[in-house]
Amino acid sequence: MAETRKEPRKYWNLPGFWAASLNPWLLKVKNNPERVAFVLHRVTGAIIIFYLLAHIIVTSFSTNPTQWTRIMEEFSTSIFNKVGEWIVAGAVFFHGLNGIRLLCVEFCAVGIGRPEKPKPPYIPPSLKAGQRTAIYVVFALSLIAWILAGILIFTGRLF
Amino acid sequence: MGRASSIQILQYITAIILIVVLTFHLIERVPGLSPLGAKSYEESVKIEPVKKAYSSYGWVLGVLLIVALFHGLNGLRGMLLELRQGRGWRIFVEVLIWGLFVVFGAWGLRTILLMT
Repeated sequence: MAETRKEPRKYWNLPGFWAASLNPWLLKVKNNPERVAFVLHRVTGAIIIFYLLAHIIVTSFSTNPTQWTRIMEEFSTSIFNKVGEWIVAGAVFFHGLNGIRLLCVEFCAVGIGRPEKPKPPYIPPSLKAGQRTAIYVVFALSLIAWILAGILIFTGRLF
Repeated sequence: MGRASSIQILQYITAIILIVVLTFHLIERVPGLSPLGAKSYEESVKIEPVKKAYSSYGWVLGVLLIVALFHGLNGLRGMLLELRQGRGWRIFVEVLIWGLFVVFGAWGLRTILLMT
């Protein structure tokens, strides 16, 4: 009997495709700061890359001094622009500080502990060696830097 | 594209470079610490300090541009490929990311070369 050829499955029309794709980002975050840090790192990264592309376009206007002065005057008086800059500053600070933590753990193998045989109560290595403390330190430092950036952007001076 | 492990190592190396270069770029906007000598945040984005930045250390801005574009677009590529899989989608993402890198890299480098 000739076998019928199976049609390749198209995943996009399966029920719950979008939920399955976005589900890792939206899992419950109660007592899970690692998940919050993971999601925030990605969200802030996306914000920064879109800002970077716009920043490259805007800075290209600096070749025309008259146009650059006019644009900067508009930006300095626009509250929408200042709030947007503040949001991007917060994204940069969190992404950078969390990135330093990730570099230490993933690239330099600092703070991850030595490999060992799993024993009860089976605490994952990512929760040992101060990793959770490091995440909370990143959150705190990002918040402090974000507040300072807000003071600089909205008042024009820091000290 | 190259091996995923090589690309990830480049992602880490560009992250390290970005921490240094981007910190310098942000300090330019802080009055009192800025090497441009600006007295306030608004003054640091006027045309004279901006021209001074390009002429004094335009090469640093060039490094920042290329490294930030690579790091950011590679991250975006990873997120898009995790969101959806398939040969057509992968080709679309590769073409999009490479296109953005070449276009915006050239655009930024043109600005830097014109201003230095």
